[in-house]
Amino acid sequence: MQLINESKSKKTVNKKNLKAALTLATTALLGSVQVSATPTSVAAEEDTWSFDSAFLYYSEADRVSAAEAVFNAKKTYSDDSILNLKLTVDALTGASANGAVAQPDVQTFTRPSGKGDYEIKAGETPLDDTFHDTRVQLNAQWTQALAPNVTGSVGGHLSKEYDYLSLGINGNIAYDFNKKNSTISFGLSHFQDTFTPEGGLPKPFASMPLAYHDSDDESGHDATRMGSDDDKTTSDIMVGFTQVINRRMVTQFNYSYSVVDGYLTDPFKVLSLLNNQGLAQDYLYENRPDKRTKQSVFAQTKYHFDETILDVSYRYMWDDWEIKSHTVDTRFYIPLGNGSYLEPHLRFYQQGAAQFYQPFLMEDDATPEFASADYRIGEMTAYTVGLKYGMKLADGNDLSFRLEYYRQDPKSAGHKAPGALADMEIYQSIDAIIAQVSYSF
Amino acid sequence: MKKLREIKLAKRADGFCIQFDAMASQCEVIIETSDPALAKQLGEQVSTEVWRIEDKYSRYTSDSLCSQINQSQGKPIAIDDETFALLNFADTCYQLSDGVFDITSGVLRKVWCFDCSDNIPTALAIAKVMENVGWHKIKYDNRQMILPINMEIDFGGIGKEYAVDRAIVLINSVTEQPVLVNLGGDLATNSSRKNGQPWQVGVEHPGFVDKKTIVVSLFKGALATSGDAKRFLEKNGQRYSHILNAKTGWPIEHAPRSMTVSAPQCIQAGILATLAQMQGENAEQFLVEQGIKHWAIR
Repeated sequence: MQLINESKSKKTVNKKNLKAALTLATTALLGSVQVSATPTSVAAEEDTWSFDSAFLYYSEADRVSAAEAVFNAKKTYSDDSILNLKLTVDALTGASANGAVAQPDVQTFTRPSGKGDYEIKAGETPLDDTFHDTRVQLNAQWTQALAPNVTGSVGGHLSKEYDYLSLGINGNIAYDFNKKNSTISFGLSHFQDTFTPEGGLPKPFASMPLAYHDSDDESGHDATRMGSDDDKTTSDIMVGFTQVINRRMVTQFNYSYSVVDGYLTDPFKVLSLLNNQGLAQDYLYENRPDKRTKQSVFAQTKYHFDETILDVSYRYMWDDWEIKSHTVDTRFYIPLGNGSYLEPHLRFYQQGAAQFYQPFLMEDDATPEFASADYRIGEMTAYTVGLKYGMKLADGNDLSFRLEYYRQDPKSAGHKAPGALADMEIYQSIDAIIAQVSYSF
Repeated sequence: MKKLREIKLAKRADGFCIQFDAMASQCEVIIETSDPALAKQLGEQVSTEVWRIEDKYSRYTSDSLCSQINQSQGKPIAIDDETFALLNFADTCYQLSDGVFDITSGVLRKVWCFDCSDNIPTALAIAKVMENVGWHKIKYDNRQMILPINMEIDFGGIGKEYAVDRAIVLINSVTEQPVLVNLGGDLATNSSRKNGQPWQVGVEHPGFVDKKTIVVSLFKGALATSGDAKRFLEKNGQRYSHILNAKTGWPIEHAPRSMTVSAPQCIQAGILATLAQMQGENAEQFLVEQGIKHWAIR
């Protein structure tokens, strides 16, 4: 009988996984009944704070680097209410593709401010190296039981960059039923963003003006601008369903509907205007629709083997810009004993291009209503391979390290490369390294 | 002697309380419901289940399965699935404690009598009894077990906690109303209370006359206590607790006089409290390292 085998295998059990061994033994003893794996919630005399901190470094080869520090404080009150406060500080530096295509000759671009310019060597993808920003983000979330089996949560969000301000609120309600084996949740959120880009907002398809210098006249630059700031709003509705299948398996399904309204164009991105030979005649600022409706479905399953945990999720996203994407994300938790663990991570992403995406404009064609050469809304595949190692320190605190490799391969969505472009690399891949250290206390 | 078995149903502000005696303890089931029929039904079902477990596993009842096993004279004796599962659990506890917890250690009572006296047995007497202690000497499978002659088993260390968990399983199959089952201080709940407030549980420390009862707030899960301040021996200023190390036959030194532990299930809480006591002066540290909530009295 299987229980005999189980009792034999316990001979190797050591004190390090005492809790796990006892949970297993209790499950066997109490029969087929669902044995709660969640810890007992006992209120101590005082309410408790717990803290998480993390430092993350992201670096793309020859492009953007980002450093991010996160500090999270969580207070659990004696009635199980939770206050969560999170501070995130990001610093970005480096170069970002400006949308123009590589050329057989040197190209000169005006900086977004209009003041000064930069040159790109022949055959290279044009990158704007003025890209640097610091962002401070604050999130606060309050969660509490509203009634037996009903949990409510409200939160606020503030994010400030040099040229960007984002304010948001959210609310979520969850109902547990079927002896807490099933949960339905419903969430709403709303964000209000204001963008004040350096150099103002360019007019759609305006030609990139020549740079001016300290003593020069700014009117050439100003003629291509339509204002200094604009805003956008984002409203999301999310419906979720979580089901405990058995004591080893839990699944989750989410559907979300999101409407973004307002200024959605990237004021720093241009498109090359090419002649028949594929040579750039001009650089025109991009233009995107001022509304985007996104929908996504998400499914996740966690399976607890005897010791390891497999976590697999899939997301399908589609929007009325005709971007469709698939994301598969897999993590595998392997305990090593003594509180330490390894967690390999694999993520695959595939995206179809927006309907108005095009890598360049042709001089002979009529100007479209909308166009963008931003690789981020073009066709691409990407994958991430990573490994996390976590350990429990002598004082009971958790320390973990994560190292990941990210690769993004933009692909042609069927646009023919004329003449001179045949030898140029239009769809340049991006390689990045992500390193993270986290500490919980 | 025929045991008097009856349950008492009392109305409370937020529901009903059912009281009965079992396993040498005062037992109660508190249910938050306005339905007296449901309360009565639950009280009857829970008390019946607890009495069933007592009748089957008490070593004090001469016709219990436990007594039959202890009188089997080294011959194979048939066991059912429930007993097999309990033996497996006891086996796990034996393995986890490296043999310090052992359900065959009850025979040590023949030499250790914790009556607060200075009656310390001789090393020779202990060594003689220890010949009949040792879980590893027992053979069992899912159909039968063989207990060597002169050996005994005793479910005292896990039986009451097991009864609490069985009661919760039973309650969950009947109702989703909040219920607390308390068998003489070993207790568990099926959910938090209707007002979202925790259950206020007084943790009694048997024998501590002047100790105030600790009030613990419990949202869900279980509590169990190990220790009894009345049961000890004292000689030459050395205090001997009634927690015996089944490996040596001697009491554990410097153990807290009482240890209360919380865990998802009562039987886990109970065994954790006992395993902690067996760490002696490191009892609290043992539980801290495991991240287990506990209350100790030294």
